[in-house]
Amino acid sequence: MATKDVPVNDPMLDPVTGEFAVIAPGHTFKSVTEEVSRIVLTPRTPLGWFFGFTLAGGFVLMLLVALAWLLVKGPGIWAVTIPVAWGFAIVNFVWWIGIGHAGTLISAILLLFKQGWRNSINRFAEAMTIFAVICAGMFPLIHVGRPWLGYWLLPYPNTMNVWPQFRSPLMWDCFAVSTYATISVVFWYIGMVPDLGTLRDRAQTRLGQYFYGMLAMGWRGSVRHWARYETASLLLAGLATPLVLSVHTVISFDFAVALLPGWHTTIFPPYFVAGAIYSGFAMVITLAIPIRKFYHLEDLVTLRHIDNMGKVMLATGLIVAYGYSTEVFMSYCYSASHWEYFMMWNRMFGPIGWSYWVLITCNIALPQLLWSRKLRRSVPFMFIMSLIVNTGMWFERFVIVITSLTRDYLPSSWGTYRATKWDYATFAGTLGLFTFLFFLFIRFLPMIPMSELRLMLPQAKVHKEAQPIAEAGD
Amino acid sequence: MPPVRDSIEKQQNSVDEDMQKTHAKLTLAEVRAKLAGQTGKKYWRSIDELAGTPEFEQALRDEFPQHSSEWIDPVSRRGFLKIMGASLALAGLSGCTKQPDEPIYPYVKAPEDLVLGKPVYFATAFPFPTGAVPVLIKSYAYRPIKVDGNPDHPYNQGGSDPITQATLLDLYDPDRSKHCLYRGETSPWPTFLASFRSMLADKKPLGGQGVYFLSDTVTSPTLAAQWKKGQAAFPNAKFIQYSPVNRDSAYAASKAAFGEYADAQYRLADADIIVSLDADFLSGARHPGFHRLAKDYANRRRLDATLNGTASANYSMNRLYAVESMTSTTGMKAEHRLALRASDIEGFAAALAAALGVGSAPSGYTWSPEAQKFLAALVADLKSSRGRCVIIPGEQQTVGVHLAAMAMNDSLGNVGKTVVYTDTVNPMPSNQTDDLRSLVADMNAGKVDWLVILNANPVYSAPADLNFGDAIGKVGTIVHLGNHLDETGLQAHWHINAAHYLESWTDARAYDGTVSVVQPMIEPLYGGHTAHDIVQSLSFDNPDASAYQLLRQTWGDQAVAVVKPAGGDADFGWRKLLHDGFLSGSAYTPKTLTAKITIPAPPPQSPANSLEIIFRPDPHVYDGRYANVGWLQEIPRPITNLSWDNAALMSYATLDNMGVHEHQVIEIHLNGYKVLAPVLAVPGHPDGAITAHLGQGRSTGRVAGGTGFSAYQIRPSATPLFASGATVVKTDREWGLAVPKSHYIDHRATYVGGDGSGTHSLEGNEAIDRGIIRYATLDQFKKEPGFAQEGYGKDTPPPDESLFPAYRYDKNAWGMSIDLNSCVGCNACVVSCYAENNIAVVGQHQATIGRIMQWIRIDTYYEGDLAAPRAHFQPMTCHQCENAPCEQVCPVGATVHSPEGLNMMIYNRCVGTRYCSNNCPYKVRRFNFLLYSDYTTPSLKLMRNPDVTVRSRGVMEKCSYCVQRIQEVKIEADKNNRPIHDGEIFTACQQACPTNAIIFGNINDADARVTKLKKLERTYGVLADLNTRPRTTYVAEVINVNPELTPDVGA
Repeated sequence: MATKDVPVNDPMLDPVTGEFAVIAPGHTFKSVTEEVSRIVLTPRTPLGWFFGFTLAGGFVLMLLVALAWLLVKGPGIWAVTIPVAWGFAIVNFVWWIGIGHAGTLISAILLLFKQGWRNSINRFAEAMTIFAVICAGMFPLIHVGRPWLGYWLLPYPNTMNVWPQFRSPLMWDCFAVSTYATISVVFWYIGMVPDLGTLRDRAQTRLGQYFYGMLAMGWRGSVRHWARYETASLLLAGLATPLVLSVHTVISFDFAVALLPGWHTTIFPPYFVAGAIYSGFAMVITLAIPIRKFYHLEDLVTLRHIDNMGKVMLATGLIVAYGYSTEVFMSYCYSASHWEYFMMWNRMFGPIGWSYWVLITCNIALPQLLWSRKLRRSVPFMFIMSLIVNTGMWFERFVIVITSLTRDYLPSSWGTYRATKWDYATFAGTLGLFTFLFFLFIRFLPMIPMSELRLMLPQAKVHKEAQPIAEAGD
Repeated sequence: MPPVRDSIEKQQNSVDEDMQKTHAKLTLAEVRAKLAGQTGKKYWRSIDELAGTPEFEQALRDEFPQHSSEWIDPVSRRGFLKIMGASLALAGLSGCTKQPDEPIYPYVKAPEDLVLGKPVYFATAFPFPTGAVPVLIKSYAYRPIKVDGNPDHPYNQGGSDPITQATLLDLYDPDRSKHCLYRGETSPWPTFLASFRSMLADKKPLGGQGVYFLSDTVTSPTLAAQWKKGQAAFPNAKFIQYSPVNRDSAYAASKAAFGEYADAQYRLADADIIVSLDADFLSGARHPGFHRLAKDYANRRRLDATLNGTASANYSMNRLYAVESMTSTTGMKAEHRLALRASDIEGFAAALAAALGVGSAPSGYTWSPEAQKFLAALVADLKSSRGRCVIIPGEQQTVGVHLAAMAMNDSLGNVGKTVVYTDTVNPMPSNQTDDLRSLVADMNAGKVDWLVILNANPVYSAPADLNFGDAIGKVGTIVHLGNHLDETGLQAHWHINAAHYLESWTDARAYDGTVSVVQPMIEPLYGGHTAHDIVQSLSFDNPDASAYQLLRQTWGDQAVAVVKPAGGDADFGWRKLLHDGFLSGSAYTPKTLTAKITIPAPPPQSPANSLEIIFRPDPHVYDGRYANVGWLQEIPRPITNLSWDNAALMSYATLDNMGVHEHQVIEIHLNGYKVLAPVLAVPGHPDGAITAHLGQGRSTGRVAGGTGFSAYQIRPSATPLFASGATVVKTDREWGLAVPKSHYIDHRATYVGGDGSGTHSLEGNEAIDRGIIRYATLDQFKKEPGFAQEGYGKDTPPPDESLFPAYRYDKNAWGMSIDLNSCVGCNACVVSCYAENNIAVVGQHQATIGRIMQWIRIDTYYEGDLAAPRAHFQPMTCHQCENAPCEQVCPVGATVHSPEGLNMMIYNRCVGTRYCSNNCPYKVRRFNFLLYSDYTTPSLKLMRNPDVTVRSRGVMEKCSYCVQRIQEVKIEADKNNRPIHDGEIFTACQQACPTNAIIFGNINDADARVTKLKKLERTYGVLADLNTRPRTTYVAEVINVNPELTPDVGA
């Protein structure tokens, strides 16, 4: 894959493959550790962090106000009505849970596929997963009419002898999302243990030593520890891998199982999963680019990562595009169903048809630029593209949830949807919460797995002969 | 029962305040400590006497508030129990206190017919200006909770209408006037009587000079008799009737034709051809005889003769032609409809009469080609149906139209067959507008010393140019008797709170003349008084005679005479009258009148570019008297689908010519008066005219105040029905009108508006394409009886085509059949459902954004040209699908299937995911997005149906096929170990329906009417191709078009 355009003497380029290096040359075990742990262990928190943290905290407060008002008044403060009984809350739920998928994919599937480059980004991708699941998991609970009874969705033994209704996809959601959240947290934490040990050892303050010491759970770095650690990681990766597929599949059942034109379609599971990964990678880029800039981590999160993520986005974006075109084909050409035909017509040209074109533009048209290697390696471009894709994916859910509901079977009951300030406040509030948690994470936990990075250095591979350099990349 | 009700409200408040106070509570230990300090022999009656501390008394007060009298007061017992429950939780010492020594009166011997939890039914009548509506009141512990038509009455046979249904909420309206007021201060009724009678005594020598009564249209023969007697004593006193919506035209016409006042009764059962000249006789009690006319009309369209073995080829049905201005349900049900401006209808009537050989054609009138074609076809049809047709003139039309209709009916030989003339239902017919005008003249001349206003609100509703509000300032003393402290009450010196018809004795005649005695269902909530009480003061010999005594005088003899007491006592006949609710055999017999009818030459046609304002009573709030009834405000009106407010209603073309858009506020100028009104387009409205519904724009009332605009502000007294020469000034303001159902206003503006010549509405198109509405002409139906089953989307999948096994229904399987041919879209079912099922009113904003709580709605689909559409009404309610999409998606099993096939909503299990609503193809589920139910207003608590849960925030609700009624009958049947008979269970919508369009029953019973209806070839299920297997099915519409006018339509 070497290309003629590549400057020969760039130290970031692999002289054989022409690819960007996953780690900039010249790093040692110590320098890598230093680079990552200084962010956490520094006695002087950068002012910028405080600024961002406070800003995000403001949004969290807004979220709290919105939720408090919601509990006082009821879901009527939102724009949900009959017929559009699901609104922003469900759109946001699906969007957030989709974003979470990239983390699991990076940490689990790419681990199993031995994609070494994933090591630099998997930690914060996993953190992103957890925070996204937190934001997502909130929505099904708060969107119901009586949130204090939300636990009735769980199958728990009770004196009423009443079980949940197992035919309902919402019930399946409960299992899917809670399993996903659990596995994600465990995987994230287990993966962090060696690094927590490092931090414990390097902490200068008593508090830090205690804090990381507790979290490190007695990690000593012995070979036995390492062996068990590796096994656990692989096992968890094996557990998490089907989840990447199942969670969004189950969430797509919320729609696919329903009778509503625009929901009732069998293409949903694969296309929801692809869409989830698509948006998840976009979100990883959205987060990675400012962080690597702010903390000067360009050596560890290199253009190689951004390039690779761009490729994944392109691939999943094409799968999603295939999903859209299948829907169009099915409804216009193949199904011969008036409902389907009208649904698609309404989606494209109905009163809120503009949202469909926003979706097509953001999710299909613009991402085709990712075919260009040059653009994939342009940091500003990738940042903007990641925002575009996230917008597009949000609109995808908007189109599916809301446009389908506005006009269904009985023309007498057609309606529309106009989001209220509380809808926006809640959505912006979860963005704030997500950012808020992320700020805490990057300040107090190692956002890049030092142990795994160390393994990727050329020095780690001395015992392997013959191919010391080529391994570095893959 | 003690007269405690007037202070219930106060008591309630004080109790609430007490409960809110935090106070120290005694503990048992403290009481013992106190007792320990006492020495010597001391008897004590109760601990409170003994301990006697203020805190203790407070604790006692909490447990038993000093309002134990409420025990025996059925009105507030529920409230009492509720408070007591709360008190028990609060009081610290409930375990060791004795009941306080206060007189409480539980039933030692309960009234014989009172079984708590069992409803009792009483027959009475709702006195409405157009004629009494005989009703049957369902009463729980002597609280009326439902108003329905009296099924035994020959006139309405159980049918009712939205207003009649909603009088229940009018009774419990929290804004009702609660006290007599003198100059704004509470003053007792005896003070008023003393003052009034001393004035009368002073005026006696003058013959009552200067004493004026201004009453709403009198419907009570007894009141008329009272006045007649009073008039004898006070020959110079005057009694004027004025209702803003009155029958002046009809009376003037009969006076001109016969020399005496007479009412026309139409016998639609015998009419093959019905012509409405702006007569909206299918939309509600606004039109005299609505219940009977609608029923007779629908019976001739039933087409279920196969039930009786008639071959479909022999089907016959009536045909309705409507010539009308404002689009009405009558026009939309009509086979052929011609939209004309209200002012053109007199000319058209004259032209029609001329074509039928009566009178001469009006000169100077030009008719559109459609109108000419319509006229020709109509004439041919009428000529071929002599004696089997009828022409009905509109109440809101001119004398000329009435005279023309009379003349045509006469010449077509209809008199005595399809139309008969009788005495008037109004015991004192008069020309009300003229009377009011002369009253105002007298007021301005200072001749009026005392003006006693009985149940009228002229300050609000008098025509603008009479300046009633100014004239009233020149009156010595104004007395206002009214349900509400309304615009007039606020200006009156004396305001007397009136009793509701459900609280008082009176009498009235139905459309057919049958006498009903109106009996109280409940002791007046606020101790109100009636017009009888006031007018009786004119009789010096017996001024305190109660309405009850007077009624017995009026009807007692006849009651005894009609019914032969079978060994019974002398009161048997009277009791039977009260039991039946009407005096059987008292219907008017047709009069033989010699008619000398000359049709007056109609005024010249108003120029095409002029703009006229058509004043019509509101379909729901009538002339404004029901404007404070939330149900009537909220339920979308027929045709306009407008909930809350009224609007300047006009055609799309007029809208376009004016350069305005829907919601925009315009200023209508007429004869120097002006009013601001938001614009709404109506399909089928004639061009060059604006219809303004009366009755809105009230300034008092928590519901009525600020809703809509008052068309009275521009209504001229000379032409109160419609007036030409209006101008319109555009404003920049917008008013968010609430159009909550079909033709959702956003989409209508985008897709149907425009140049006003759009051909189809998207919704209407889709409704036909999707097989939601299926109809055929009579000829098509004869040729193709299965038209409702053939075509795309009309196939029902076989029952096993589901992932889940089919349910078995071994015993009962409830089903419903709705005859779309009979449904006239009047909304009676909707209001009935609100009353039966404690449905909340959500308010204008919530209704606008789609959160109206109706469990049943009348979907209206328009078809054809916007200027001349055909509408299809489809009552839509939960279909109780056997394969219900909602049940499968509820994660907590809050909506489940009953063994009898009902989709049951378990409110206390509902978490509120709203998934069921999303998955319901019929969108009949309603969600409590906010706390819509009123848990605080005391009077509304009394109104609630105790058999139905009041839903709180966050739960889904929907039609249950009135499961509480099913259960009630089932329990009775089980007790007697018998099956449920067909026709034993009525759902609320079915019971209210004036045309019997809704039939409910057990579809497992092969002989049940519903089962037979479901086997009709016209029966179809809406969206049944989704394999929902709905239990509600529809009988497709068949219209009997005149092939000359509409060669191909339908199917």
